[in-house]
Amino acid sequence: MTTLVFAMLLLPAIAAVLMLVLDAKATAARARGFALVATVATLILSWSVAYQLPATSQQPGPVTTRWEWRHTWLTLASPAPAPTVVNHEALSPDVARGQSPEESKNPASTSKPQDPSTARSPSGDFINLEFYLGLDGLGMAMILLTTGLCVSAILVSWSEIRERSAEFYAGILILEAGLIGVFLAYDLILFYAFFEFTLLPLFLTIGVWGGPKRRYAAGKFFIYTLAGSLVMLLGLVSLVVETQSLTGISTPFSMPDMARALQDQPLPVETQTILFLLIATGFLIKVPMFPFHTWLPLVHVEAPTAGSVDLAGVLLKLGCYGFLRIAIPMLPDASLTVGQPLVAILAVIGVVYGSLCAYHQTDIKRMVAYSSIAHLGVCMLGLFALNAEGLSGGICMMINHGLATGALFSLVGMIHERYHTRSLTDLGGLASRIPVLSALLVFISFASIGLPGLNGFIGEILSLLGMFQVSAVYAVIGTTGVVLSAWYLLRMVQVGLFGPLREPAGDHSHVSDLTVREGLAIWPLALACLGLGLFPQTLLNLIEPDVKALAVIYQEPDEVIVQKKAAIQPSFAMTSATSIVTSDHAVETISSIQTGERR
Amino acid sequence: MANWSDIALATIPAAPLAAAIWCGTVAQVVRRTTAHRPVVLALALSLVAAAYVLFVVVPGSVVDSPAAHSQTTPIETSGESLVKPVSLMASENPASATGEHHGPAHKAYIFEVYRWMSVGGLTVDIVLRADAMTALMLVMVNFVSLLVAIFASSYMHGDKGYPRFFGAMALFVFSMNMLVLAGNFIEVFIFWEAVGLCSYLLIGHWYHKPSAAAAARKAFVVNRIGDFGLMTAIFLIYRTFGSVDFETVLDPTRLAELAAAQPGLITTIALLLLLGAIGKSAQFPLHVWLPDAMEGPTPVSALIHAATMVTAGVYLIARTTPIFVHSPTAQLVVAGVGAITALVAAITALCQYDLKRVLAYSTVSQLGYMFMALGAAAASPALAAHAETFAMFHLLTHAFFKAVLFLAAGSVMHAMGDVIDMRRFSGLRKALPITHITFLCGALALAGFPLLSGFWSKDEILAVVWEATQTGDYKTYFYLILGVGLLTSLLTAFYTFRAYYLTFHGPERFPEEAGHHPHDASPAMAIPLYILAALAVVAGLILGPTHIYAHYIEMTPNFPTAAPAGMNVGMMVLSTILALGGIGLAYTIYGKATRAEYSDARPLNLWENVSLNGLYLDQLYGALIVRPMATLSAVCEFVDRMILDKIVDAVGLIPIIAGGMIRPLQNGLVSSYAAVMLLGVIVALASVLRAIASVT
Repeated sequence: MTTLVFAMLLLPAIAAVLMLVLDAKATAARARGFALVATVATLILSWSVAYQLPATSQQPGPVTTRWEWRHTWLTLASPAPAPTVVNHEALSPDVARGQSPEESKNPASTSKPQDPSTARSPSGDFINLEFYLGLDGLGMAMILLTTGLCVSAILVSWSEIRERSAEFYAGILILEAGLIGVFLAYDLILFYAFFEFTLLPLFLTIGVWGGPKRRYAAGKFFIYTLAGSLVMLLGLVSLVVETQSLTGISTPFSMPDMARALQDQPLPVETQTILFLLIATGFLIKVPMFPFHTWLPLVHVEAPTAGSVDLAGVLLKLGCYGFLRIAIPMLPDASLTVGQPLVAILAVIGVVYGSLCAYHQTDIKRMVAYSSIAHLGVCMLGLFALNAEGLSGGICMMINHGLATGALFSLVGMIHERYHTRSLTDLGGLASRIPVLSALLVFISFASIGLPGLNGFIGEILSLLGMFQVSAVYAVIGTTGVVLSAWYLLRMVQVGLFGPLREPAGDHSHVSDLTVREGLAIWPLALACLGLGLFPQTLLNLIEPDVKALAVIYQEPDEVIVQKKAAIQPSFAMTSATSIVTSDHAVETISSIQTGERR
Repeated sequence: MANWSDIALATIPAAPLAAAIWCGTVAQVVRRTTAHRPVVLALALSLVAAAYVLFVVVPGSVVDSPAAHSQTTPIETSGESLVKPVSLMASENPASATGEHHGPAHKAYIFEVYRWMSVGGLTVDIVLRADAMTALMLVMVNFVSLLVAIFASSYMHGDKGYPRFFGAMALFVFSMNMLVLAGNFIEVFIFWEAVGLCSYLLIGHWYHKPSAAAAARKAFVVNRIGDFGLMTAIFLIYRTFGSVDFETVLDPTRLAELAAAQPGLITTIALLLLLGAIGKSAQFPLHVWLPDAMEGPTPVSALIHAATMVTAGVYLIARTTPIFVHSPTAQLVVAGVGAITALVAAITALCQYDLKRVLAYSTVSQLGYMFMALGAAAASPALAAHAETFAMFHLLTHAFFKAVLFLAAGSVMHAMGDVIDMRRFSGLRKALPITHITFLCGALALAGFPLLSGFWSKDEILAVVWEATQTGDYKTYFYLILGVGLLTSLLTAFYTFRAYYLTFHGPERFPEEAGHHPHDASPAMAIPLYILAALAVVAGLILGPTHIYAHYIEMTPNFPTAAPAGMNVGMMVLSTILALGGIGLAYTIYGKATRAEYSDARPLNLWENVSLNGLYLDQLYGALIVRPMATLSAVCEFVDRMILDKIVDAVGLIPIIAGGMIRPLQNGLVSSYAAVMLLGVIVALASVLRAIASVT
């Protein structure tokens, strides 16, 4: 198992290095052949890993570990014990400033004792820095998505990329390695390193092989996401420092250990809130959520097809993944009190706004990019429902959006290769000319629309169902996305594929239907869409332990939440008393009606 | 070892699915011209299996009979011990408790296929759930589908997308069968959408026609508005009941408790379900997609857009009657929607020149009748059984006579070289005798001619509404509804026979597309026409006054308590007069009319224009919804590109500007560097000295 995982992580990286070192002037044919072999081998490895992955977690805690490999490479003596308040000021001025006056005057009001002597465990004398890899169902699902999409990415670049092929395919392989690395990293620093590392190959892919405005697009993409990530880094470092000083764990960078320690002994709510906002900045830009999304359409329009497939398919999910790995398990109070309303509002705006923007596009690729914003809005609604249904739905949405959007971008790329345009003003009635490709485009559009029986539906209904348990308003607004996605995607189908044939000026007699190579790129994705739609339980079983571990944090009695809200907002205490009464009443009414099978 | 009931249940969806897969794969490459054969075979198999379910499985699923227990798969309770077993809930059925029931209590026969998903508290199983209502729907769906498939094998002959057509049709029958066999709301939703997909694919069958492509999208998007309601209803049901299974949600005892505690909640659920039903069953104000859907091949119009799919909304409301009975408000809305729809569609049908559009609007109008019936129970819960029975009865008879009307219209279209505008042909009764006689049977049934199917079922609906005017708090409201129903009845007879006279009477004229000798229906088209015409004539008489239908549907579990059904002779006489009056009116205006009067040249008056354009609803929606949405979309796009993105760029400029401001410091003059250095040294020295001072 360990060997397999390392092989899976290193194979694409080594292949890329070999390609650059030994054969940098390779012809396009040799480079793409080599890259294809490497990605297929990685795909096989990832499936072997999935096959061997144990069904249950090795240790308890919000971040589950079904396989892990850790190596301590440095042990430091922990900082001298000091009062926590001093630590606050010394190490994280932001946090200290954020504390409310009442809080600092009256430390007893916080829910947990802050006396370092009681807070520290005996093992707190040392800090271990580790190289820590781990796997759970969520990571595994994302890795399978990555390895699958990378094969398609190579296949769709087959004839698109004609210059500097070796470099291009090496870039895709390095990107694949980086993405696998993110999903394997259980060490916070390692996670961040891989997270940032994925920017580089994609930056180059867009900047070198992209469209006419590629330099501007690549620069904007890089700087925008990097800026967000740096704010996030500040948050991550503060999180480590706060966690270490509060709980005294000896492995302050280990995500499972941190999550476990923080579950027993949560950070003060104010600290959590500030940390959450810092960390969320990076992830919100990455997802991207309204209003941080403007880089996405630009980048997609300029990126080569393979870049778009990987970007929309996997890279955007890093934001969601980050929330799942860090914010939701480690900052539960902030996720609930601040994250839920904040993300839900941005998400529903994103759903409606993204859909509206998508409708107005004539460039199919730009339309798909805006549809991603809408769909990821639904995904985030699910994740921040913070219950089993919503979390499962959000994760399904990550996978399903990856498959469907990856396939959509591939198909749009294929049309672009044939006609050198993606504009609906130049194209029309393609179903008469390229029927198989058009049929696939209709099929994938329906997967994206969320037609039951195809994969998109699973994530959509679970996410919205989950959110509905929390807030009907957000869920109902999110559900309008159901109507809107059909509205803009079917418009694209109607204009682009149906009606009389319209082709751009010039000779197009050579245009052929789906080739075998293109079929190999797209059919597996289409079949995966159908398979997951018919048998969603395969995916749900894989992620079930992880979802359960996360959902259980938020399964508190209602009163506790009310009290926690009261702790951060003194004015809330006034209303909280009545809230408790009413919620009690509601619970009683409902439980007397239902047979109590929900819990 | 599976028993015959399981095999029959599994065959009903499996056979069409297999045929669909065949048509989608193998038949795309080989055996293209015989793609209809596996479909016809599969539908015949499904029909036999459905008949077995109708006659054996459902009557055998009795709660207290030990024999029934032995052959019934118990419901999987998903490991939750608190879920009550089905048999227990069925025995709490008020009908059996009060002892008014005619026979032994029945329960649903359930065959579990597989667990589709199980997350948190949500468990969704794909099951095949058969009860009396399902069995009736199944037989109707498979029967009409089989005949339409036979008809289409001749009608669609030579079409470029022949296997695609039959593939989509088989997929449709599979989805429709699964929709009525569904055992929980999410399963309903899955196949609710699936029939919508098939409808989309079949309306857009001739995708190279821009009008067909537009109609297909319109149908899907408008349906999705309804689906939004259904989806939200499911969310609310899950939040309220913690389950989406029919057995749990539709349990009358629990619903009664809930209705007492939170009546608003029940009303909300019911209204959201209604929104879903309005979309699928093309009710006002979402009915605008159905007339456009006539762009599809005519067999599709007959099957999907008249007989089966559009009745799914009626089926959904009938199925969820246990919820609706607790909300008079929702039922009043149901009745109101039905009445408005019936009237609006009938008015619109008056001046249409496209034969298929006349039939489409009449479908909308007849579906309105069914809704009217379903809503009548608002007056008194005692009416619920009648309301449900007669709505479902009208659904059945309507399927027969509307299918024959559409297929006959298709036959006209086939003979006239795809021309369907009634201004361009007339007097076809000699050239197309088979089509003429079958169309006449359908038209008489639709008009409510005495003793034909439509007469019995429509009359029963009017009788239920009459009863609603006699009891309860909403007498005035139901008098209004009854008036609309009677008026619509007159209009229906009128526009149906207007179409009949325009098409089959008058001087014999053919459009040039038809050639000189139009062919009447081929045998493959004639046989389905005859069978359906025969049923349009006799089905009502056999099943209606004999109460065979009513007694059968009472076997549905949780069916409302039935009061003895009587004949409303007064209503019968009244509706007969109205039907004959409408037919007579049509005869006086159109029966002997000269053609010049209805040529293209004649300017239409205001009212005719309003009717022809469907009360300008499409234009109204265009102005109020579609265009504002497009404008809003353009605004959003502009805001995104020119404002939000520019703000980002502006933030990106901050480092450049900041750098520009500090740059003068690096001016390259050694003297200024030296000055700054001196300053630095002084500050450093001062701090060091201070530190020393504080230590000592």
